[in-house]
Amino acid sequence: MPEIHVVRKDNSHLYEHYFDSYFRLRYDIYVKQRKWMALDRPDGREIDQFDTKEAVYLFAIDAGQLIGAMRAVPTLSPTLMSDIFPYLNLRGPIRRPDVYELSRVFVIPERRGEHVGPRVEMLLLTAIMEYGISIGLTAFSIVLESWWLPRFERIGWKAHPLGLPHQMDGMSVLAVLVDCDEATWKSLCGQLGMSGPTLTWRGLSDVNRRALPALSVLPPAAAQQTR
Amino acid sequence: MQGIESYWGRRALDFVDAIEASATGASVMSQFEKVIRDLGFHAYIMAGIPEPGQTLAQVTVANGWPLEWFELYNRENLSAVDPVPRHCFNTLNPFEWKDAPYDRERDVAARNVMTRACDFRFHEGFCIPIHYDDATGAISMAGERPYLDAETKSALHLMSVFTHGRLRALTRSGPQGPSRRLSETEAEVLRWAARGKTAWETSRILGISERNVRWHLEEAQRKLMAPNKTATVARALVNREIMI
Repeated sequence: MPEIHVVRKDNSHLYEHYFDSYFRLRYDIYVKQRKWMALDRPDGREIDQFDTKEAVYLFAIDAGQLIGAMRAVPTLSPTLMSDIFPYLNLRGPIRRPDVYELSRVFVIPERRGEHVGPRVEMLLLTAIMEYGISIGLTAFSIVLESWWLPRFERIGWKAHPLGLPHQMDGMSVLAVLVDCDEATWKSLCGQLGMSGPTLTWRGLSDVNRRALPALSVLPPAAAQQTR
Repeated sequence: MQGIESYWGRRALDFVDAIEASATGASVMSQFEKVIRDLGFHAYIMAGIPEPGQTLAQVTVANGWPLEWFELYNRENLSAVDPVPRHCFNTLNPFEWKDAPYDRERDVAARNVMTRACDFRFHEGFCIPIHYDDATGAISMAGERPYLDAETKSALHLMSVFTHGRLRALTRSGPQGPSRRLSETEAEVLRWAARGKTAWETSRILGISERNVRWHLEEAQRKLMAPNKTATVARALVNREIMI
């Protein structure tokens, strides 16, 4: 099972060897596959103005290989929504210490739609909720493709729209605010059959973390043994 | 454009706020019907795309078609030839019915569906595909001369997806709806089958006879009209009659 690592300015030196492949993967996925040509760069790495010291990354690592990732940027700093897509948000700018904006959520093509073990994207969506609770966030803002909405609804991610969907390069895109709360995290863990936290906080022992709620739901394997 | 957009943008956001605060499916649907009526639609449906062996009625989440059309559509299994649901498998984006591709010369069955729909004042339609990992559904609506400019389409898209999501959330939290066909024991037996348990193992776990387990599996298979045990589990999962 992949490990989900928290990577931020205070421990990024431990993950330096992953960053090159991380930015190359982003180039492969967003420029080569999805053709977001505005992100094109001659060096074959996709890095934008939001990859600052404030950015927090979740790296999904399996047997030493980066297989998926997600980026979270504090909304007190510039974000995609505030600087690039302000027209997607009709409810007014979000600049709050308890809200981070998620972007660049991906799983490498070879690891999508797996039927063995939990799905990597589900692990990432569960892990970011765990991170949010741990550092005291209440919501995530996201600019995303509209087809994510039913998937969010199905897994219990509560999304609130901030404006109308817009067509962008042939895809329908909109801005949402998603609740970050304990009930959602517990429900996600239950769906994945996880009995405890999943995040790896290497080199981050100084970070002040809030306690996570106890998981009352037993995973299927444990339920079986108690019968 | 900005003026219209902020009007429909604001209206769509207010709509979503209102249905999120609504406690019953009936209230959610009456608000949805009102707002689409204002945009010129007099009929709608929210449903999964029927798989072979399924009728539309079995996968319907909310039915706002005229009764006669719904019955005709089911009786003649028009979902098998209708180009609109078929196109949902090929696109992530909402589309107008007239943009659902089919061979207008040769595909007589598809042309017939579109023609017969006109008898019900379905002259123009708008369809929003809903994609999950393992299933596809759609929200489809029709009218004589609906408003279908870019802004109203965006608003319809947003309002429809959230209405569909809200209905599902209300169904999930409330008592089992009438759409559910399996008994509690049948569902329990299938849940264990989904986890790879044999009939014998399930009989040990549930403390009933193996013969009894097999009987419940047979019953579930019959109710879901599935060809074998694997397909029964798959259908029960897709239809959300069981969850693992």
